[in-house]
Amino acid sequence: MKAYNFGSGFRAHMPKAIAAALVLGMATSGALAGDAPKDGVYADHIDWGVIMDLSGPTSSSQGVWTKGLQDYMAMLNENGGVGGRTVNVLAEDGRFNAANDKIAFDKLVSQTPVIALSGFGTSATQVALASEIRDGAVPVIGTYTPTKALSEPTSKMVYNGFCGYKQMADAGVGYMVEKLGLKNPKVMTVAIETAGGKDYADYVAAAVAKYGGTASSTTMKIAAVDVTPQVQQILAEKPDFITIYGIENTAILTMKTMQQYGLDTPGFGITYLGTKSVYNALGAEAGGNYSFISCFTPGGADESDGNKAMVSFADKAGHGDLASNINYVAGWVAGMTAETALKKVDGDLTRASLVSAIEGGFTVDPEGLAAPIVYTPEDHTGPQVLKMFGYDYAKETFVSYGDYADYEKYTK
Amino acid sequence: MFAQVLFSGFALGSIYGLVALGFAVVFKATQVFNFAQGALAVCGAYFAVTAISILGLPFPLAILAMLAASALLGVIIHMTLIQPLSGRSMLAIIMVTIALSIVIRAVIEIIYGPQGRVLSTPLPTGVFIVGDLRMPKLHLTAAATSWVCMAAFGAFFRFTRVGLLMRATADRHEAAMAAGVNVNLMNRLAWAIGSVLAGIGGLFLGQLQIVSTELETIGLLALPAVVIGGLQSIPGAIVGGLLVGMIEQFSSSYISPKSTDIAIYGFLLLILLFRPWGLLGDQETGRV
Repeated sequence: MKAYNFGSGFRAHMPKAIAAALVLGMATSGALAGDAPKDGVYADHIDWGVIMDLSGPTSSSQGVWTKGLQDYMAMLNENGGVGGRTVNVLAEDGRFNAANDKIAFDKLVSQTPVIALSGFGTSATQVALASEIRDGAVPVIGTYTPTKALSEPTSKMVYNGFCGYKQMADAGVGYMVEKLGLKNPKVMTVAIETAGGKDYADYVAAAVAKYGGTASSTTMKIAAVDVTPQVQQILAEKPDFITIYGIENTAILTMKTMQQYGLDTPGFGITYLGTKSVYNALGAEAGGNYSFISCFTPGGADESDGNKAMVSFADKAGHGDLASNINYVAGWVAGMTAETALKKVDGDLTRASLVSAIEGGFTVDPEGLAAPIVYTPEDHTGPQVLKMFGYDYAKETFVSYGDYADYEKYTK
Repeated sequence: MFAQVLFSGFALGSIYGLVALGFAVVFKATQVFNFAQGALAVCGAYFAVTAISILGLPFPLAILAMLAASALLGVIIHMTLIQPLSGRSMLAIIMVTIALSIVIRAVIEIIYGPQGRVLSTPLPTGVFIVGDLRMPKLHLTAAATSWVCMAAFGAFFRFTRVGLLMRATADRHEAAMAAGVNVNLMNRLAWAIGSVLAGIGGLFLGQLQIVSTELETIGLLALPAVVIGGLQSIPGAIVGGLLVGMIEQFSSSYISPKSTDIAIYGFLLLILLFRPWGLLGDQETGRV
């Protein structure tokens, strides 16, 4: 084999070429501009990751949440971004599959790196990735679903962005028991078969026990299209009220089938199930028995500054029909949380500096879209103050039952 | 509780029987084991959504449109996918029906989105309450319509000339051809009937529950129903559908909602082991 001869001319210019390459490399890597590309931070923008189900059975809620966050970031960017950088949202589709979420997670950690992550709407994914996230370098700020596995004990890497199941159970059960004037209430949880569903049913049972009552639960597949057996169980057990955990179809199927069987047992859904599409699908009769517990105020339900700004921008972005969707509001508030966290960093923005800046705690002001969200070093629960909402079919708007402050007694 | 579960099993089983009858008609006529029968039920539900909710047609007209669309779909499937494969192996045709089912599901999700839709019709709602037994009017309507359809198609096959020709074609293919029967036309008709029956089942399943591509899983209960009842048997499909509905409701109510698949397919295995020709099917005998 013949060796290739670079020649004397190449040797003479090699030192200059190496120097030029080094300078070019430093410039493109951003080192000269103070960037940290490995952390998703560039001279003009910051990459922020989202892992959610943008297709599949849960996309009707998680896709809307993602649009809420993206729209908030778009508004933020219009107003100058954070520290002169715009925030670029890299949204990955998990398709309700923990394996897909794992691939997306690895991609956003190392291949197309991001400063932080939000979302993780699939509870099974949170359970599967909990240790990797807690021991890793990328903080998760603004989770869509709060599972015990990821949230407990409190970690400097995880900040919940949605009402906790415990708070939903405590506030919802407390309100219903008081409203219906129950002693020793009998409550049934209807839930889809997920880790979060099991957590929620346990929290409801604990909340009911505080009133000396009894709780039971029944489950269904996430893609269930027939809930007759579950309604038979409700018929047999005759609970005072039911509570529903799942996706929109879970609430629609359960309440609709109960109506078919002439059951007028009141029910309340978790926050995710507070959408106009659920109420429209149920109609006034079945919808009259249905309410939902939420830490977020749907768009158009009040005149707060945050609510008006969100509705206005959603209209502008062509998402006006989504503003009343509680998932959109939650995504919007997650965007607020991300902005607040980023603004806590003094000096160079990196994953490490972000984690360091927020681990001492920070407070998000959702401007009326929710009660202030306070993160302390010991408590990353996220939104904790909730209230019950219903729907006014005549006015086609959500109605809130009381103020957030009225419900603090249930969650304290 | 027992009476309540029995009623639910009967109502849902009647719909399964209707979808299974469609399957049996197609199988008897063309020997095609149609894995897309559940998808055809989904198509019927979405045709109804399109006609009622999107186009806003009056209910009777919407139903006629849904039936026509279902029949046309069956004919198109036969002409474009099944007839060209005539003479090929059973496996090839089965693969075609599986692929068809996947394609139908994907196309529906592209057109209508992944979210379920609610089908609102003027069919009677409310409930008859007799003691502890609650009988939703919608379930009664679905069951009654299913039985009327099954009776009507039974009479069609038994008493009409076209029905007799279809039975003749199904029983003796070559003899029918030799007698001048347009076999392809008969087979197309069988596919149209199978698709219409699945569509009516889908309409009621969508009305009782929610219209989504997941209805296919319910529609696919037609498969164990016809195997249990007897693949070649029209009454067997109806009985099989009823049994599947009963087993589903009793197992989920008395054991666990998770136990339904075990109960249905466990029973199917028992039938295949001890009476492989089904409850009402004819045992095939051969010379050794």
